[in-house]
Amino acid sequence: MMTRVTLRNLAAHKIRLLLTGISVILGVAFVAGTLIFTDTMTKQFDDLFGGIAKGVAVDVRAKPVTTQPGDDGMSGEPVPAALVEQLKKIDGVKDPVGNVLGYTAVVGRDGKAIGGQGPPQMGMNWIGDLGDYTLVQGRAPSGEREVALDRETAKKAGYGVGDTAKIIVSSGAPRQMTVTGVLDVGEMMGSTIAVFDTATAQRLLLKPGFFSDIQMGSQGVDEKTLRDRVAAQLPNGLEAVTGEQVREDAKSDVASIMDFFRIFLLVFALISIFVGAFIIYNTFSMLVAQRSRELALLRAIGAARPQVTRAVLGEAVAVGIVGSTFGFALGAGLAAVLQSTVGTGTGGLVFTVQTVLVSYAVGILVTVASAYFPARRAAKTPPVAAMRDDVALPQRSMRIRLALGTLLALLGAASITLGLVGDLGGTAAGTTVGLGALLVFLGVTMLAPVISIPVVRVLGWPAARLLRTPGRLARQNALRNPRRTAATASALMIGLALITTVNVIGASMRASVDQQIDEQFGADFMVTSTAMTGGVPLDAAEKISKVPGVTSAAPYYAGNGVIDGKQAAYVAGDAAALGKAAKLEMRSGDADPGTNGILLDQDTAKARGVGVGGTVPMKFADGRTENLRVTGVYAKNDMIGPRFVAEDVHLAHTARPRAMLLMVDAGGSTTAKAGIEAAVADNPTLEVQDQAAMKDQAREQIDMFVTGLTMLLIMSVIIAAVGVVNTLALSVIERTREIGLLRAIGMGRRQLRRMIRAESIVIAVFGALLGMSIGVLFGTALQQALSDQGLAVLSIPFGTLIVYLVIAAIIGVLAALWPAWRAGRMDVLKAIATE
Amino acid sequence: MTNTAPSTTDAHAAPGAGDFAASAHRVVKAYGRGDAEVIALDGVTVGIPRGRFTAIMGPSGSGKSTLMHCMAGLDSVTSGEVSIGDTVLTGMKDKHLTRLRRDKIGFVFQAFNLVPTLTALENITLPMGIAGRKPDAEWLDRVIDTVGLRPRLKHRPAELSGGQQQRVACARALASRPEIIFADEPTGNLDSRSGAEVLEFLRASVREMGQTIVMVTHDPSAAAYSDQVLFLSDGQIVDTMAQPTAERVLERMKGFDQPGVGAR
Repeated sequence: MMTRVTLRNLAAHKIRLLLTGISVILGVAFVAGTLIFTDTMTKQFDDLFGGIAKGVAVDVRAKPVTTQPGDDGMSGEPVPAALVEQLKKIDGVKDPVGNVLGYTAVVGRDGKAIGGQGPPQMGMNWIGDLGDYTLVQGRAPSGEREVALDRETAKKAGYGVGDTAKIIVSSGAPRQMTVTGVLDVGEMMGSTIAVFDTATAQRLLLKPGFFSDIQMGSQGVDEKTLRDRVAAQLPNGLEAVTGEQVREDAKSDVASIMDFFRIFLLVFALISIFVGAFIIYNTFSMLVAQRSRELALLRAIGAARPQVTRAVLGEAVAVGIVGSTFGFALGAGLAAVLQSTVGTGTGGLVFTVQTVLVSYAVGILVTVASAYFPARRAAKTPPVAAMRDDVALPQRSMRIRLALGTLLALLGAASITLGLVGDLGGTAAGTTVGLGALLVFLGVTMLAPVISIPVVRVLGWPAARLLRTPGRLARQNALRNPRRTAATASALMIGLALITTVNVIGASMRASVDQQIDEQFGADFMVTSTAMTGGVPLDAAEKISKVPGVTSAAPYYAGNGVIDGKQAAYVAGDAAALGKAAKLEMRSGDADPGTNGILLDQDTAKARGVGVGGTVPMKFADGRTENLRVTGVYAKNDMIGPRFVAEDVHLAHTARPRAMLLMVDAGGSTTAKAGIEAAVADNPTLEVQDQAAMKDQAREQIDMFVTGLTMLLIMSVIIAAVGVVNTLALSVIERTREIGLLRAIGMGRRQLRRMIRAESIVIAVFGALLGMSIGVLFGTALQQALSDQGLAVLSIPFGTLIVYLVIAAIIGVLAALWPAWRAGRMDVLKAIATE
Repeated sequence: MTNTAPSTTDAHAAPGAGDFAASAHRVVKAYGRGDAEVIALDGVTVGIPRGRFTAIMGPSGSGKSTLMHCMAGLDSVTSGEVSIGDTVLTGMKDKHLTRLRRDKIGFVFQAFNLVPTLTALENITLPMGIAGRKPDAEWLDRVIDTVGLRPRLKHRPAELSGGQQQRVACARALASRPEIIFADEPTGNLDSRSGAEVLEFLRASVREMGQTIVMVTHDPSAAAYSDQVLFLSDGQIVDTMAQPTAERVLERMKGFDQPGVGAR
């Protein structure tokens, strides 16, 4: 019987439940979309890497020294070429061949480099049939002026066999080469590949007489056995791995990126779901309140409390199931759209059982959990309520709410502080901060009804002034049920709090970068490479230093070493030039590390307990360790970081020195820019920036970060907007009689719509204000915590926040459209007659 | 007291004719279609005289509430014509009807229908607020004193008794000086003492302020406060009674219970 009550109610309140359903649908869609999309991408990458290193049984390469996987996968120490002959003698080894891999960019006919926005630009040596490519046109490259290109790159660049192509490598000036062949390399998702003959590749990309690694097939021996045999013959610093391992490594690199991406997206999906939970809670609360008489009747005729609870929860389950189904479908659609824009479009979407289960579990659990408290409250309806006219559901005192809310908010704040300031490290710190934010949201939500009364009174004032009676009524309506107003506004609060946080951080980053450049950047120009893995060829430094007006053009090297088993990043280069460029301030000792010294910043020196004259044992990328003498200690410097190593030391331990950037000193003059640009005009991957351009670029990147995160958070704002629609629509239904009366005594449809719109705006703006206040606090807390890590300046983007406030008001207007229309359409007579 | 009894003849009750505050001319109101058609009003013609207290009585389902709703412009008519003063309501757009209700008509409902978020005073001045007009302070004072609500003006409806709430509703109807007030079972939700107070007050407003009031009721003792009673049965006006007393009205009503008696 109670089941029938549940079903009848579902049928009777289709529209209200549909609105509840929307928040479930959107939340589940976000989750399902993320899972389907990342699964699909992972599978695509798996397929891609399935073809890699197919014939490889064992690979010999340098042992990685630093824990950080090589900065670009190409920084391993080279393997001597002579080793190939040695390996040939090992029983079971078949066709050992050396690979050379490095950065190579191809410049197209239009003078722009191909690719470079993510996927690597690679150069390799020609190893014939053993390579992961096949020649489809022309012939293999031979000699120092020939190159073969992959088909995609050749097409984009506009080159065919016989054409002359401009090739950029990091070891020297750009050069012209003849394209002798076009290669099929399979799907490379935007990577570019240029192939030279082995000697040329070694000279351009590595070092003559060396390989990046040596791969070999097997003759009747399994991979592991062969690996052990090979390993036994290897000199120190080299290792042998199975082909299986190579293939797995390639896969797991991608898998870990996809995992990160997945978790990243899921965090935002979770936020949307959390917001959705508010909407569901609110809707069920209102439905229960409106049905209190009916529920009381059920109780009066003998339904037990648990039965009433179950009847309400039954509705929640149904909403959850239906919402999850639509959500899953919508998620699949989203994934398809995403995949067609970023993916390669090959192969269909991947649906795993896990995705389906997770989607339904999330949808149903969230709905039921959110409806649980309203259901409990429904069960508490006293049976006499059925007989009374003025049904008042038992309402707990605001005082308990105040205490509990304050407690939660404080706990949350404490948790955030612990996460930010405490020494928890990476994930744990992130989780603690996230949990703290959640608690703050819950706490503020509990406090919101109390806060809402004075705030709504103030916010409603202009409405009351402008719209007079309808405005006054709107304000009173928003105040009538502070819990409802607050719960609706809270949903909006969460999204806006997070968006505001992101914006505060973004603005602070901008201001901090500007300040950093102003205060700490001493060079007049900086030359960087647009290619992610490229770096600046050293010949560019020579050319630029000859430009009239340029005093010096110093390479800035970045390296990874190991000190006492811990990774230790360092910067190296010409101490005088970089010291000036970074405005390095010495605290003690000498700013010149000489030929074998190191400079440390204050904190690092203090932490190690060394001072000027002490030594630091640093293991370099080539596996060798050197005791570096500390010649000086400097004040914390964002551009140099914790350690500065003598240029000679770095060069001695690096196979292919490559400057991350060049610091150009032109004696404070900015007129040299054209000359510098002309000097490197032949290399389109290089960019010459003065301080203003650097600020602009940083600003651009920060803006992209802010925009990206804001987009991800917008879903939660949309869900919250649906919540405002929901609340208003239910309020309109609840106030049918009152609206009928207002219409009967002469309120026009327009006035009525204005009244509802004003209420909606007041609620939306209240939510936005709450959210922005929290967001500013969160942002400030984050900035304070990160002030040592480059986020020195706090900047609150008031302009942007005002724009968001206006947007919130617009959301209010939009959310009121449908409820207002509905209210206006209501039959006056029926409205009055409604019980 | 004038002798003008409400006329049930076409000749006297032509819309706009005579000194009627409201009138209906051959009004038919049907609900539903085909077999399910229900005729609520079956060609009613009636004029409500200005400055009088008119009661509409009739058994359940006689169409008395429907007649009132139609005359007040809350409901549309199937055929016929309805007027308030000189204004013909039939065929009017919602916007104009709303304005007409706002400016010329006052309502008192059985279920009080006050706005719970507003105080008594705010409820009383609500129609003027909606119209964007300032209430006439002197008149408002008089109305408030007449209903005896002065000490309760700052209270919300929930803090008032049923009788007090209904007096607020009456004051709201009077405050904007409408041409006519329609009262739908105003005492239906009240105990007899509060009911008597409200009815006294309504009668006083007619006698002392010259207000026109139409009241739908099924309570003979309520009808006794009026100047004249219209009896409605099966969607038609079947009788009128001037200077009613509770006993005479009751006697007349009993007639409706017996089939055949009192009908046409």
